[in-house]
Amino acid sequence: MVPGTHYLALAAFLFAIGFAGVLVKKNAIIVFMCIELMLNAANLTFIAFARQSGSMSGQAIAFFVIAVAAAEAAVGLAIVIAVYRTRGTISVDEVEALRDR
Amino acid sequence: MPSGQDIAALLPFLLLVLGALVLMLSEVFLRSGGRGYQSGLTIAFAAAAALAVPFAPQQVLFGGQAVSDGFAGFVTMVVCAGLALSALLGRGWLETRNMERGEYYALALFGASGMVLLGMATDLLLAFIAIEVMSLAVYSLAAYPRRGQRPPEAAFKYFILGSFASAILLYGSALYYGATGSTLLSAMRGGGGALLAAGLSLILVGLAFKVAAVPFHAWTPDVYEGAPTPATAFMAAGVKAAAFAFLTRGVLAMVAGTPFAVGNELGGVLGLLAVLTMVVGNLFALPQRNVKRMLAYSSIAQAGYLLVGVIAASRPESRAQGTSAVLVYLAAYAVTVIGAFSVLAVMEKREPTPDAGSADAWDVSRFAGLASRRPWLAFAMAIFMLSLAGVPPTAGFVAKLSVFQAAAGAKAWGLVVVGVLTSIMGVYYYLRVVVAMYMQPAEMEEPAAAPPTVAIAIAVAALLVVVVGFSPEPLTAWARAALLRM
Repeated sequence: MVPGTHYLALAAFLFAIGFAGVLVKKNAIIVFMCIELMLNAANLTFIAFARQSGSMSGQAIAFFVIAVAAAEAAVGLAIVIAVYRTRGTISVDEVEALRDR
Repeated sequence: MPSGQDIAALLPFLLLVLGALVLMLSEVFLRSGGRGYQSGLTIAFAAAAALAVPFAPQQVLFGGQAVSDGFAGFVTMVVCAGLALSALLGRGWLETRNMERGEYYALALFGASGMVLLGMATDLLLAFIAIEVMSLAVYSLAAYPRRGQRPPEAAFKYFILGSFASAILLYGSALYYGATGSTLLSAMRGGGGALLAAGLSLILVGLAFKVAAVPFHAWTPDVYEGAPTPATAFMAAGVKAAAFAFLTRGVLAMVAGTPFAVGNELGGVLGLLAVLTMVVGNLFALPQRNVKRMLAYSSIAQAGYLLVGVIAASRPESRAQGTSAVLVYLAAYAVTVIGAFSVLAVMEKREPTPDAGSADAWDVSRFAGLASRRPWLAFAMAIFMLSLAGVPPTAGFVAKLSVFQAAAGAKAWGLVVVGVLTSIMGVYYYLRVVVAMYMQPAEMEEPAAAPPTVAIAIAVAALLVVVVGFSPEPLTAWARAALLRM
């Protein structure tokens, strides 16, 4: 049996990858995937702690988060499409009509 | 099974959700082109939700995950007032641009329902869901016009940084769950150690993004500038109120029963955030000639003053004073900022083509000589600017005074000094608009007439700001009464 701390370490690692990806990556879709990775790292943490303590509530929380993440994906991808239509790029760096001048 | 009592306690929230569904369907069953009733319907649902607040029994809901207390009731009122005023503004703004649709009001109502739920939340999972309900609606509102480059870009930036913050908050909640075995705020009593501290830090970072505290504020100016003006007004009033409500609840729960000496560390971290937010927000607002961007930086600065109130609330000697100061501030700021954005909506330049990317649509020079052309409009804008600057006799002065009094009650003299000094700095850029209106010759073309609904929104907001400024007692008494039922 895999000890619970391994799941927690994996989740922390996934969260770190997602966190770094959001800060470093230029492509909006990749950034968006990194955010999803962070949400799922949180899910995995919830489930690992729930398993450790033998309570079910953490596992139930994961379902709520999955539903919220799906709604977020719908809105997020729609916004990415709207950006692509108005300027033909989804690079985070090139979207800069709004800035201090 | 939910009892009748539970439903009565949730009635404000349920009415807003019902309103959103009705408005969404109204677009499906629309027969004629007339959409004038949609904003009226939105205001009716906002009013109904606000009227249901006094009748909501004080009740613990969803097994302790939410509570319908006086604090939540106050936040609900502020959100409903913001929703109604911004719907009036939205009606005029959208109609003149021929983009009024039921979806706009439906999204605003969905957003308001999330804000109301966030005001009631005493649980991290419910707060996460409420934040997402609120944010997803507000992201969509920011992108609502879809024409031109700016609205989608504003929504894009808001979405990426907002969902990044939500993910950080959720991971913090997961660590919190591991440390305490529950996501309830009250569970903090049971836990301790590094895991809880790490979880709480991540939750604080996530919330700091939402309230736009420095150094997590970078999205605010771009989003406020790019979003359609009525949506900006709604998010400045509503999102700020809801996020600060939950932050205050979280901080109160934190100092109520953590075993480790969290009070001092928390005060230090929040104090640093507050000072940075007040200083940086005001400093960046100083050079802004774009009034919409200036108001965005001003909203960051206001978050700093609100944080001072939260810090006062975290000290036992000034708990009630600090919490009621936060509530008074949220109410005063919501009304003032919607009024200011309403005047700005009248004055903003309408682009000939949606893609014209001119940045001077909100330039301060457009306000030059307004006092001679539109005396009432200029007078209202002057009232809002003075209120944001905290000059008596306006609601903004009452709010700032109560926050600084609470901080003085907590013996946080450093924060009071920084707060007063940065407020004085703020007077400069708020008065620049007033000076342009009253002392500079008119050079631009005649400004367009304010649509009647926008004029009503401006008049109501200005009246409220002045009335609260002259007799603050009803508002402050109401805020104190709200705390007694908490």
